[in-house]
Amino acid sequence: MNRTRAARPGPSRAIAPLAAVVSASIAVATPAAADTVSVAGFGGGDTVVLNGLIDEAMAEEIAAAGIEVEYTPIDGDFSQFLLNALSAGTAPDLYYVDIFWSDAVFGTGRADPVRDQSVAGELLPGLAEAFTRDGTLMGIPKDFNSLVLNYNVDVFEDAGVEPPDADDTWSDFEDKLAAVADELGDIAGICLVPDYARFGPFALATGWQPFDADGRTVLDEDFRRAFAFYTGLADSGAGTVAADLGEGWMGGCMSSEKAAVALEGAWMIAHLRDAAPSMVWDATRMPIDPETGHRGNLIFTVAWVVNPESQVRDSAHALAEILTSEPAQQWVLEEGLAIPSRAALDDNPWLDGEDVAQVASRHAFEGTRDEAVTPYYFGEYGGAWMEPINSALNAVLLDELDVEAALEEAQEKLDRLTGHDG
Amino acid sequence: MAAPASDPLGRQERRAAWLFLAPFLLLLGTFFVFAAVRSAWYSLTDYDLFAEPAFVGAANYVELLGDELFLLALRNSVLFAVVVTTTQTALALALAVFVDSIARGRALVRTAFYFPSIVSSTVMTLIFIWLFQRRGLVTDAVNGLANHRWELFCFALAAVSIQLVLVARARRRYEGVRALDPWFAALAALGALALTVALRTLQLLPVGEADAAISWLNTRATVAGMPVTLWSVAAVNVFTTIPLMMLLYLAGLQSIPRHLYEAATLDGAGPVQAFARITVPLLAPVTFAVVTLGLIGTLQMFDQVAILGNAAPIESRVTLAYYTYYNTFPPGGTPRIGMASAGAVALALLTVLVVFVERRLGISDRA
Repeated sequence: MNRTRAARPGPSRAIAPLAAVVSASIAVATPAAADTVSVAGFGGGDTVVLNGLIDEAMAEEIAAAGIEVEYTPIDGDFSQFLLNALSAGTAPDLYYVDIFWSDAVFGTGRADPVRDQSVAGELLPGLAEAFTRDGTLMGIPKDFNSLVLNYNVDVFEDAGVEPPDADDTWSDFEDKLAAVADELGDIAGICLVPDYARFGPFALATGWQPFDADGRTVLDEDFRRAFAFYTGLADSGAGTVAADLGEGWMGGCMSSEKAAVALEGAWMIAHLRDAAPSMVWDATRMPIDPETGHRGNLIFTVAWVVNPESQVRDSAHALAEILTSEPAQQWVLEEGLAIPSRAALDDNPWLDGEDVAQVASRHAFEGTRDEAVTPYYFGEYGGAWMEPINSALNAVLLDELDVEAALEEAQEKLDRLTGHDG
Repeated sequence: MAAPASDPLGRQERRAAWLFLAPFLLLLGTFFVFAAVRSAWYSLTDYDLFAEPAFVGAANYVELLGDELFLLALRNSVLFAVVVTTTQTALALALAVFVDSIARGRALVRTAFYFPSIVSSTVMTLIFIWLFQRRGLVTDAVNGLANHRWELFCFALAAVSIQLVLVARARRRYEGVRALDPWFAALAALGALALTVALRTLQLLPVGEADAAISWLNTRATVAGMPVTLWSVAAVNVFTTIPLMMLLYLAGLQSIPRHLYEAATLDGAGPVQAFARITVPLLAPVTFAVVTLGLIGTLQMFDQVAILGNAAPIESRVTLAYYTYYNTFPPGGTPRIGMASAGAVALALLTVLVVFVERRLGISDRA
């Protein structure tokens, strides 16, 4: 005999209506349980920004939205952590995606498009485009940076050299740095690193473009001119290879007073605050290519992206909106922690101040409007695109190849990479 | 009931054996067999960590053979393995013989030599990064050697000459005077030092002015076909692995019966003959273990390359293990797990092949 339990209600079924009434009364008597949204971001100084936003600046808004944040800062390589976690199904609900490796996430469908696409219109145009794929905004850029010329005021005063200013051309820039190094002896003008992330603005200022209409990277005469200028800074005495000073980046050279200037973003504000709190420093804009009259720059940016497999997607989207809202970005800006991505903060009065953090932030903001600016993004090629250029810079800076040979080799590698070698 | 004669273990003993083996078999099955089979499968697919893997046959292997970076990684790995394994085996044996010959304070010397092995590989690597800076201590040492090469040559020549004279004179009067008699060696060193200082003071020895910044890590230069970056990594690797190999050799040396050496001495064999005819052959099983461990460790070299070679061009630091990692997490790009797995399988096959060749070359586990 095939008897089903539905034919005769069991005790649990009899209790069910009563349980529903009790749980409904409890729900009325107590506030709804908050959604816990797990969040992952970079480690290091970035934890200060996020902890400040979550626990101080936006704490009320987050609570009002019925959200509890479970924040995990990730030290080390964030993209590796994220790709592993996404493939294993253990990724957080909301995470950073750097423009540099955004294709690895967007191209594999591991991003839930921004719920309110109208936010794209409220962002600085270049930033919205950077995270837009096929007309859909995939993440809300939380902030951005561009390179500015940071300099140690005391070093220039001691050397009796006029400090850099916004009207300096490449040759003014080189002459001033060479004069500082010549006068002081134990301090380099600038630390040179074999990295497109620092050399790139010079190449862009010449009018060179990373990809032509066919998707090929052509290291043309403009590129060669910028390349020769950057690597020639070592020959003229204006620059010293960072590795010779035991440093790995320009900012480290400046904070340890081994170099007078550093081409870095506004992240130098926090770095110098920690590493060289007594240093008197200032910032100005990138030097101008004397031939084109243009400045080049790169935009570094990171977006909040929602995990499409999140169980609390709505709350994750809401949290992303809160963390990138105007009040949140205003707080971040005034703390000198990052540059806002919202166009409404473009003419924020805070940026007009004369404190060095305000000056550096203002110049980083202005850097995005320079004549020759591209995002720090190389499409499907990722970092592999930069390697031939970095390798060529390294070879010339270390006197292992001359400019022509290094560029010829780099061109061959780039052609192989982009499929233009045949 | 007694177990059958063909089965020396009883049922209970057999069960106990399996119970003892179970944890290891579980770990081996999960982290080796399962991982190896899965990697082999992925190597035949276009897996990228996200999309369902699609079978592509041998396409990844065909692509490997056409990939210049893979071929470079293969060459670098083989050269690195040969250089490091040969050097560490020879030096470990020499150190073990030296420590074994010390009558007093052997434990202290053994501990001192073993110390580099207990320091974390990452910490040791960071120390070497500091030493290998372009204007670091290694560069200073090389410049110092270049600048003082005439003084060093003079000292060495004088020390050897004085030692030879002292030993020759003593042998005319006494029997059994050793060529490297320590007292004569001390006198020879003092005499050579005095002569060198005198010649230097009289400015009869030229002194160089080399002050070159040398790139040990961040360079594209090669020596004997292997990137200088990997030579530097090899130096670190030899330094950190020798102590363990030395201990293995030391254990082997202490198991060689002393009466063999006594008999050889009675038969008129010198120390070199005893070493070549007794020590080396009887240490063959240890040499097999040392060489095999060395080959496997060096072919799978990853951590020191990843940290030490971080600033170097990819061509100067890529090994097969690094190639696998590079394809798993290409900087800024989408993971290429199919290619990474094919690289890993190639590395495994190469390791098996190299150990096979090692045995064919006569390095075996039999004395």
